[in-house]
Amino acid sequence: MKRVAHPVELSLDQCIKCNICTTGCPVAAVTDLFPGPKYEAPQAGRFRALGRQVVDLSVDYCSGCRVCNMICPTGVKIAEINARARAGMVKDGRFPLRRRLRNNLIARADLIGKLGQPIHQVTNFILNFKTSRLLAEYALEIHHEAPLPKLADSKFTTWFRHHQPSGNPGRKVAYFHGCSTQYYEPRVGRAAVRVLEALGCEVIIPKQNCCGLPLLSNGEFAAARRYHASNVRSLVELARQGIPIVGTSTSCTLTLKEEAPELLDMWDEDTQLVARMVFDFNEFLLSDLFPALKRYPLKSIPLQLGYHIPCQYRAHRLGKPGLEVLKLVPDLQVVDSQADCCGIAGTYGYKKEKYDIAMQVGQPLFDFAKQIQAPAVICDSETCRWQITHATGLPAVHPVEILAAAMGFEPEVPLAALLNKV
Amino acid sequence: MKTINTEVLVIGGGATGAGVLRDLAMRGFKATLVEKRDLSHGTTGRYHGLLHSGCRYVIKDPQAARECYEENRVLRKIMPHCIEDTGGFFVSTPWDDPAYIPQFIAGCHRAGIPIEEISPQQMLKEEPLLNPDISRCFRVPDASADSFMASEANVLSAIEYGAQALTYHEVTRLLLCPEKPGKPGGKVTGAICYDLERDEDIAIHADLVVNASGAWAGKIAALAGLVVQIRPGKGTMIAINHRIVNTVVNRCKMPADGDIIVPAHTVAVIGTTDEQVADPDRIAIEPWEIELMLSEGEKMIPGIRQMRLLRAWAGVRPLYQETETSASRNISRAYVLLDHEERDGVGGLITITSGKWTTYRRMAEATVDKVCQKLGVQRSCRTHQESLPQVEHEVASRIIAEGKRTKAPAPKFLTLGRRLEQIEEKKDFNGIVCECELATYEEIERAILKGNARTLDDIRRDTRLGKGPCQGGFCTLRAVGILHHLRQPPVEQINAALHDFLNERWKGVRPILWGQQLRQERLDELIYRVVLNARALPGSEGTRLRAQDYEPPRSTRERPVPSQREATQPLKGSGTSQPDRFSASTTKIELQATECDVVVLGAGLAGLMAAWRAALGGKTVKVISKGRSALYWGSGCIDVYGNAPAESRQVSKGLLSALLEKLPGNPDHPYVKAGIGTLEDAVIALRELSLQSGYPLRGSLEKNWLLPTALGTVRPTCLAPELMTAGEITERKPLLIVGFQGFMDFYPELIAANLRAQKISAQSLTLSLPLLLETRNLNALFLARRFDDPEFRQALIQELKSHLLKTKQLHPDLRIGFPAVIGFHEPYAAWESLQDGLGCRIFEIPGLPPSLPGIRLHQMLVKAIEAAGGSIFDGMQVVEAQTAQRKVNTVWSEAAARLVSHKAQYYVLATGGILGGGLTAAPNGRIDENIFHLPVHVPISSPGWFQPAFLHPSGHAVFRSGILTDAAFQPIDSKGQIIYENLFAAGSALAGIDPLLEFSQDGIALTTGYLVGERLAKL
Repeated sequence: MKRVAHPVELSLDQCIKCNICTTGCPVAAVTDLFPGPKYEAPQAGRFRALGRQVVDLSVDYCSGCRVCNMICPTGVKIAEINARARAGMVKDGRFPLRRRLRNNLIARADLIGKLGQPIHQVTNFILNFKTSRLLAEYALEIHHEAPLPKLADSKFTTWFRHHQPSGNPGRKVAYFHGCSTQYYEPRVGRAAVRVLEALGCEVIIPKQNCCGLPLLSNGEFAAARRYHASNVRSLVELARQGIPIVGTSTSCTLTLKEEAPELLDMWDEDTQLVARMVFDFNEFLLSDLFPALKRYPLKSIPLQLGYHIPCQYRAHRLGKPGLEVLKLVPDLQVVDSQADCCGIAGTYGYKKEKYDIAMQVGQPLFDFAKQIQAPAVICDSETCRWQITHATGLPAVHPVEILAAAMGFEPEVPLAALLNKV
Repeated sequence: MKTINTEVLVIGGGATGAGVLRDLAMRGFKATLVEKRDLSHGTTGRYHGLLHSGCRYVIKDPQAARECYEENRVLRKIMPHCIEDTGGFFVSTPWDDPAYIPQFIAGCHRAGIPIEEISPQQMLKEEPLLNPDISRCFRVPDASADSFMASEANVLSAIEYGAQALTYHEVTRLLLCPEKPGKPGGKVTGAICYDLERDEDIAIHADLVVNASGAWAGKIAALAGLVVQIRPGKGTMIAINHRIVNTVVNRCKMPADGDIIVPAHTVAVIGTTDEQVADPDRIAIEPWEIELMLSEGEKMIPGIRQMRLLRAWAGVRPLYQETETSASRNISRAYVLLDHEERDGVGGLITITSGKWTTYRRMAEATVDKVCQKLGVQRSCRTHQESLPQVEHEVASRIIAEGKRTKAPAPKFLTLGRRLEQIEEKKDFNGIVCECELATYEEIERAILKGNARTLDDIRRDTRLGKGPCQGGFCTLRAVGILHHLRQPPVEQINAALHDFLNERWKGVRPILWGQQLRQERLDELIYRVVLNARALPGSEGTRLRAQDYEPPRSTRERPVPSQREATQPLKGSGTSQPDRFSASTTKIELQATECDVVVLGAGLAGLMAAWRAALGGKTVKVISKGRSALYWGSGCIDVYGNAPAESRQVSKGLLSALLEKLPGNPDHPYVKAGIGTLEDAVIALRELSLQSGYPLRGSLEKNWLLPTALGTVRPTCLAPELMTAGEITERKPLLIVGFQGFMDFYPELIAANLRAQKISAQSLTLSLPLLLETRNLNALFLARRFDDPEFRQALIQELKSHLLKTKQLHPDLRIGFPAVIGFHEPYAAWESLQDGLGCRIFEIPGLPPSLPGIRLHQMLVKAIEAAGGSIFDGMQVVEAQTAQRKVNTVWSEAAARLVSHKAQYYVLATGGILGGGLTAAPNGRIDENIFHLPVHVPISSPGWFQPAFLHPSGHAVFRSGILTDAAFQPIDSKGQIIYENLFAAGSALAGIDPLLEFSQDGIALTTGYLVGERLAKL
C-alpha cells in the first residue's frame, strides 16, 4: 500500500537542536571535516531538495555508525537522512567519478568473492602484496594499509553441501550466511550450523545474494534495490511458512530487517514480511531456542576475553544479546569494551581519505584491547573483527564460535589456538 | 527640530513604497522615504511569499491575472536573486469541482498565461507528498519570492540614485498649508515624524507626499482630514518546519481560504484566511483559522496535521473600497491610485493602495507617472529594464563606494541550498550564528554595520536569524553577544533587545504550540530562564522598538478536536490513511535471561538516581531510554530551590529556610510529599558519590551558591561542581571573564558588562589562540577536548599570563571565568593544572547546550549504576505497556522490525515531562503520557496555557501538568487509587509545579528518584 509520507526525511522535524547527537559522534570527535550529526541531518536536511542536490561532501564523512540515532532523545533518523543525502548526490552525479568507481568496487564484496575465491591464492596475494596495494591506493584511493580480508580455501556453501547434519532435526531454520561467511570466514557459518543443529533445528541455506549494505552505505541505491529485491524474492516463501531466517552477520541482518526497506522506501508486504522474519543469531538463541539452549550441557571455557558490540548491532536495538549469550558459558570472563565504534564502518575505513579517521575513531577500542591484556576480542561483525586484528594484532572471533566450542564442537583457528594453550 | 527638505516624501517602507522610492530616484527626483518600523514590517513582510503567475485570478479577476503575469515576467528579469523559480501546480483534489477546470484552462488562455497539464504520476514524482488522489494537475509559472530581499534591493537601488530611507520614523502629523483639513484649496507640504530610536521629532518638507502605507493608508490620509476607506483583510499563515513541497501548490477551484502552499526558503507556508478587521495594528490569530488551514492543507498533503508547525503569523491586506460589500475577498485586488487634489481638493498628496505584491513595480510606476504629472515633468520609467542590485555585501558596498555601476556577476535565481552550498564550498563550519537557517557571522555583521538593522527582529528580516525550528533558542544569545560587541551600547539596551526578540518569536509560536514545537520551546525556556537566568538581566524588559504583539483571540472556544474523517465529504472517494504502525502482525520478541528486578524508563537525573539506589540495594536494574537526557542541556549543577518570587527578580541565598517557609502551603509539591529529610539524604548521597568519583560537587541545603551565567546575570544553585564555585558572586574579589576568538557560544564582553551593571567588578578578555583558529569547527566539544591536552593548556596559560602581567591584573585574588569547557574526559585534572599554572582561581560558566558539566554528571551516575551491577541502554524507546489486573507485566520497546520485551518486577516511569518527552501535548488541549496512558492532570484548559511574555514571571500554566501520585510516588487515578501496583513515577513528569520557574528541576528529580530507588531497594 502506498506510503504517503516518507518517515526518514520527515523525522528531521523531531529535532529540537539540542546537540546531544553531536556529543556522541565518534567521527566529529576526531575530524573537523565532519561538522556533526545535527549539522548534517536535521539541519542541512532542510536545505536539500529532491533532484536539486547541493554538493555537500561533508555528509560523506558520516560513517553510518548510528550512535547519533541511539542517543537522540526525539527520534530523528540521523544516519538514514545522511545516507539518503549521499544517495541523492550520487544520483545527481555530484560525486567525483573516480570516487564512485572506487566505491562501487569495494561495495561489491560478493563479486570480489565470486570471482576471486576460485583463484583464492592468487587473489589473496594480490590483495595483500604491498606493491599492488600501493597501486590500488594511487589508482583507486583504497588505502594501502586497510585490512582487506583473505579469501578462504573453500566456500561455506561447499562445506554445507557436503556436511552431515547432526542431531534430530526439528523445526526448519534458514541461515543467511552473507558474503563474509561465504567467502572469507566460513568457520563462522560452520559454528552457526553446528549450534543450530545441536539445538534441534534443521538448517536450510536458501538462495541468497549479498544483502547490499555496502551499496547502501555508498549511496548506490539503484543497485542496492536490485540486490534487496532479489533477496526478498528468495526469502519470502520461507517467511510465509513461518520459517525464521537467522544470520550471524549483524550488518546483513540489520539490512534485511530495516536499513534496506527504510532507505529504499520498500514498504510492500513481501519486504515487510521478510523483515519481520529475520533474526540475529543471538536474538534467536535467547528467544526461540532458549529452552533448548538452557538445557544443553556447556563445557568450561576458562578464558578472559574482550567483547565489542558492533555499532550496527547496537542499531538492532536489542541491547547486547551477544553478551547475554556469552554469560551462559561457564568460566568465561568477558569484559565489555564500552567503545562506540571500531572505525571501519563497513567500507568507510578502506577509503584513502577516511582511513586515518577510521583508525582514530577506533582508538579507544584498540586501547581497551591492549589494556585488558586478553588474548582475543569477541565481536559479532566481520569488518570489525578485521579492523580489530589489523589495529591490535589480536585475533577476533564471533560469539557463535565460543558457543560452539562450549557445546563440544572442535574449534577452528584462531579460537583453537587460544583453547589449546589453556 | 531637525528638518529635511526633499522633493517627494514617500510614506511606507513596504514593497510599494520601496518601489516608488526607486522609481522616483531613477527618474531624477530627490526623494525621502519614512517607515514607522523596519522595511517590510507591514503586509509585505507577512504575505504568503508568492510570485503569482496570475492563474489564481483568471476567473474572478481577469484584469489582475493579466497584470500579475506580465509583472511576473518583469520581476524574474530584474530581480532573479530575490526569486526562487519553484514553478507552481494547480491541482484538482477530490474536494474540488471538476467543472472549474475547463473554465480555468480557458481563463489562463485568455490572460495569456502559459500552463501545461501533467499526469498525476509525474506530479507525484516531483512532489511525493501530494495527495495521491489528485486527479489533474497543471504546471504554471508561479514562483516563490523573498519580499524582504526585494524591498531591501529596491531601497539600495534608490540610495544608489541619491534617495534617502529612514526606518523607525513614524508619521505623526501631516503638514498642511493652509491649516484647514478637508477644506478645498489646502495643500499637504510635508510631515512631522517621530524618530523612535532617538526619541525626537523631525520635520520633512516636500513638494509632494506619496501615501504608500498600504493597510495604514486610511490612517495617514486621515491626518489630512481625508477619508480613504481601507477595509483591512487579515490573513493568517502557518509555516511548516521544512520544505514539504518544492513547488507552489494551489487548489484548482474558486479562490478561498487555505488553498495554497508555498515553499519559502527552508519552510513551506500554508495559507491563508480572510477576515475583515477594524484596525491593522490590532489583529489576532484565531484558533479556528489554524484549524481551517490544517484541515484544508490535509486535502493537498495528507498527514500535514502530524507535521511540525513552526510558526503562525498574520498580515493585513490593504483593500480599498468605495462602496460596501460583504466579504473582503470579493473586493478587486487591482491597485488604486488616488489624486487627492482631484478627488478631495487637497493638493500635495497622492495615495497608492490595494494591489498585490507581485504587481508592486507596476503600482510604483503608475504612482511615479502621476508624480511626474503633478510636478509637471516628463520622465520615463526604467525600473522594468534595469536589474536590482544584489544585497550581497561585496557588490552593494562596491557600488556605493565607487558611486557608479560596476560589473556585478549576473544574478541567478535563489536556490534552497545556496547557504549550505556556500558553507560546503568553503569547507568552513565556523561562525554559524543561526544554525537552523545557516546565517553566518558575516551576514549578521553586515546587517548590523551596513544594513538598517536596529533590533534583532530587523536582523531576522535581513538574515533569517531565528526563523528555524528553535525559533531563536540558540541564536538569540549569539546575536546579542555580537550586537553588543559591534555596537557597544549601554548593556541595558542589549538586554532589552534580547527580551524583545524572545517575545517576538514567542508571539508567533503561541498559536501553534503543541507537540514537538512545545517541546522545543520548553528547551528554549530551560536555557533562558534557568541556565542564563535572563529574567534577572539589568534594565527593562523591552524597548520602544519592540514588535507589537497580537491581540488575544476573540474566540474563547477551545480548539476543536481533530476528527478522523473529514467533516465535509469529498466529491469523489478518497481513502488515504496512515498504516497502523504496530499492527497485530508486528513481531514481538522476548529475550530470555534479560529479566530483572527493576526496569527504569528514562535516563534523566530522576531515572538514574532511582536506578543507582535500587542497584546499590542489591536489585538487578536495567535503565532503558530513547536517548540521552536533559542533563545534557542544563547547567550541570543541582538546583534545589531558587526562591524567585513572581514580583521580584532577585535570587536568594538562603535555601533550606525558604523551602520550609514556602512549601507547607503546597501539599502536592514533590518536596513536601517526599519530605525535606529525603531531600537532605539525596543531596548528601549525590555529593558523596561525586567525591568518590573525583568530580566533587560542593554545597549544601544551608544556602545557595550565586554564580554568574553566560549572560552575566546571577543564578542560584545548591550543588555546584568545584570547577564552578570560584565564581561565587558574593565574594568581592575581582573577576576576569575569558572567551575565545571564533567561539560562537560565549561573549565575555557582554557577561562582564552585565556583571558591572549589577555592581560586580568584572573585566573581559577574548583570546586568539592559533591552535583554535586552525580548526574548521570551533565548538564547545572541540574546545573541551583541547582542554584535556596538556600542551594546549600550557599554551593557554602562557598567553593568558603574559596578558595578565602586561595589564597588571595577575593577583592571587583574581578569579578567571571560562566557558564550561574545561576538559571532556579529565575535567578535574585540567582545572587543577590551570589553577596551578596561573596561580589564581579558575571557574567555569555554563551556557548553551551541549552542557559539558551536565555530561559529566550523567557519566558519573552511569558509572555508579554499572559499578553496582546495573545496566543502561540508549536507543530503546518504550512504545507499549502490557498490563493486566492492575499490574504491569512487561513493556515493549521499539527495535528493528519488531518490539522487544523488558520484563521486571517493578517499573519506574522517569520519562520526564514535556521537555523530557514523557508527556506530549496535542492540538486539542489534551496532554498524554505516552507509555502507560496514565491520567494527566492539566491545571487549565488550553486557551489559558500560555502567557504573552516568554519569560513571564508566572510561567506558562501548561507546564504544571503532570501525573498525580500518592506519597510513595505511585501514580493514582482521580479517586486516589493506585493504578498499577508495581509502577512508580519520578522526576519532571509529576504534576503540581513548574520546576523551571522555581529553579527546582534538578532537586525534584534528585529527591523523587532517590526516594523511589530507596523504596525499591527495600522491596
